[in-house]
Amino acid sequence: MSYIIQFKDVQKYYGDFHVLHDINLTIHPGETVVLIGPSGSGKSTLLRTINGLETIQKGQLIVDGKDVSSDKTNLNQLRTDVGMVFQHFNLYNNKTILDNIMLAPKIVLKRNDAKNREIADQLLKRVGLTDQGAKYPAQLSGGQKQRIAIARSLAMDPKALLFDEPTSALDPEMVGSVLSVMRDITTSSSMTSLVVTHEMDFAKAVADRVIFMADGKILEDSSTEEFFKQPKTERARQFLSQVEHH
Amino acid sequence: MSKLKGKRIGLLAAVVLVVVLVGSLVFGWTYHEYQSKTKNSLKNIKSAHVMRWGVKSDTRLFGLISPKTGQSEGFDIDMARTVTKQIAKDQGTKIKPEFTPVTTSSKIQLIKNNQVDAVAASMTITPERAKIVDFSNPYFPAGQSILVKKNSGIKNIQQLNNPKSTIIGVMGTMAMETTKKFAPKAKLIAMPDNSQAFSALQSGQGDAMTTDNAILYGFCQQSKDVAVIGGTFTNQPYGLAMDKGQTDLQKAVNRALKEIRADGTYDRLIKKWFGNIPGLDWRELTK
Amino acid sequence: MIKILTDNWSTIITGFEFTILSSIVGLLGSLILGTVFALMEMAPNKFLKFIGTAFVEFFRNIPLLVITLFFYVVVSHAVKINGFWAGTIALILYTSSFVAECIRGGVNSVDPGQMEGARSNGLTYTQAMIHIVLPQGFKLAIPSLGNQFINLVKNSSILSFVAGLDLMYQANVISGANLDPFNTYIVIGIFYLLLTGPLSVFMNHLENRLR
Ligand SMILES: Nc1ncnc2c1ncn2[C@@H]1O[C@H](COP(=O)(O)OP(=O)(O)O)[C@@H](O)[C@H]1O
Ligand SMILES: [Mg+2]
Repeated sequence: MSYIIQFKDVQKYYGDFHVLHDINLTIHPGETVVLIGPSGSGKSTLLRTINGLETIQKGQLIVDGKDVSSDKTNLNQLRTDVGMVFQHFNLYNNKTILDNIMLAPKIVLKRNDAKNREIADQLLKRVGLTDQGAKYPAQLSGGQKQRIAIARSLAMDPKALLFDEPTSALDPEMVGSVLSVMRDITTSSSMTSLVVTHEMDFAKAVADRVIFMADGKILEDSSTEEFFKQPKTERARQFLSQVEHH
Repeated sequence: MSKLKGKRIGLLAAVVLVVVLVGSLVFGWTYHEYQSKTKNSLKNIKSAHVMRWGVKSDTRLFGLISPKTGQSEGFDIDMARTVTKQIAKDQGTKIKPEFTPVTTSSKIQLIKNNQVDAVAASMTITPERAKIVDFSNPYFPAGQSILVKKNSGIKNIQQLNNPKSTIIGVMGTMAMETTKKFAPKAKLIAMPDNSQAFSALQSGQGDAMTTDNAILYGFCQQSKDVAVIGGTFTNQPYGLAMDKGQTDLQKAVNRALKEIRADGTYDRLIKKWFGNIPGLDWRELTK
Repeated sequence: MIKILTDNWSTIITGFEFTILSSIVGLLGSLILGTVFALMEMAPNKFLKFIGTAFVEFFRNIPLLVITLFFYVVVSHAVKINGFWAGTIALILYTSSFVAECIRGGVNSVDPGQMEGARSNGLTYTQAMIHIVLPQGFKLAIPSLGNQFINLVKNSSILSFVAGLDLMYQANVISGANLDPFNTYIVIGIFYLLLTGPLSVFMNHLENRLR
């Protein structure tokens, strides 16, 4: 069976602290997987190991056919194929919106200026921010920033996208616009997405699978329907009832 | 609102600062004037039983810190000692000399600030200086010479009179002025004191060092690869300096100088310090 | 005081020129060298980091006068180097250690998310530094850099110890001749203010504009 991301018995420590226990997880091309769990359970850490922002101490992690923990792997190359969207956007504060989108394609992919601009304009249209190209991040609202961050990732034409609580830092009225852009992306058949979120409605609507994590362990890995109807563990049930009461 | 307020406070602070600065300048100045008008150094010396001398700490033969004692030693120091002793005798009281190290550029300021009563620091008597301080009669017949590295082939100052030559002097000395007359084309650089001027010569920062011959002889004693050349080209005797208007002290010092010359003490000191310098006859100095 | 000015006008102006020249060379030199030291200090490579830290700690912790005299008296045995350049080189080395600390401080206070964003966007460490982190770090470092540059102008008076022909040196020469150090140094102080005043205003302006 083909896969794009595969964890095999992965262990991760921060010093003495064991953050990720025995992670085994396979994600197939084109899949949309939602990762949920209480705060501090290791979701962000797991996501960040995938593009090498964090290193693993044991086990094996293969992404797009490359062994992430091997010294020989070119992580820069890997990161052009696996984009990441952060809770706090991490847009380049010193660059305009257009430059935010066009910088990496220009200097990493060496895409020519005309083509680069054309793609950037298309992406701005896709995230609904056509006229904002000349502004700086500080001039945008949170929801707009996050949509630009998504456009910036898409500009690299990645095979997979990692979302780390992309709507958690937003005012409630901004959440909808970001989720609709994400829905648009995740439903496109070729894109693989791994999304950490607390938006259960979004999960129900777009996820093929749900992973539930607690205390650095994967407790459940089920189809979306199964998970929401009949969670296997007490922890997941508790967690769902808490989130739903929000 | 608050921005405006901040600006106003800033302005106020600036004004206060200026007032304080100007105020302390004016106060310092008036206090200084007042002090120099009412001061009588000789009286102060007698009542304190201490005479405070400014002396060199970096000048071989005249005033050089001895690593053993940590005190300056040299002809100037011995002069200051004997003069103090003689004044004490003349005044019929006990007076102890006390020494403060001075540099060429700070010595006048220290007199003016009343930090020393007099200065014995290989200081040439000049009309400009005499406007600001009072000098005793000459106590040492100095003259300007130049010091070069032996292997430089330089024989006299005329050879240095071209834009390619650099002559090293000491800040605030007469030698700086006179060198301009004797070698107007040469480049002239001034170092803060004698020993720094000498290390500048040794490290090749200049072709020659110029200052008073006696000081240069001190360097010859210290280092074999340098030589004083061409004799002296000026006549610039040293005097002991006191604050302007301290006539009582000046008279007492001159009297003391005369007495130690008469009783042979002076000749003994000259012989002690300059008796065995190659190329220098100490008897010339006592004339 | 006016008389000091008129009597010594060309001397003072010569000193002013040398002080300005030393300050400009010192400013550019220490900015470049300081940035290099800062980058080395922050480099992921252990060896570079060690060299960078060693340089900064070395020059930051010895007196400027010692560095100056080292170049003037010791190095000049090997390479001919006059007082002006000995002082100016010492000034560059000394100031660049402080500039490095300012820049490192500025870069360290850039949100780490900027680096992460850039790295996960596919940029290498170096590219992320050049395009994203350093420009923001420099901006954050401007207030403290301004202080260093004002210190640099004032510290250029070190040239006077090695006959560097700067303002302070000329002040010493003038006061040695006119025997009026009090007023001479006031006049020279005003000339330093003519340099540091506008520099200070300019740095404030830059700081406000970039905010
Ligand atoms: N850089 C780090 N150093 C040490 N501990 C960390 C670091 N990052 C996260 N942790 C700890 O690891 C655990 C998992 O964190 P995280 O992956 O951010 O959880 P989640 O995203 O699920 O809230 C938490 O207990 C957190 O405090
Ligand atoms: Mg998290």
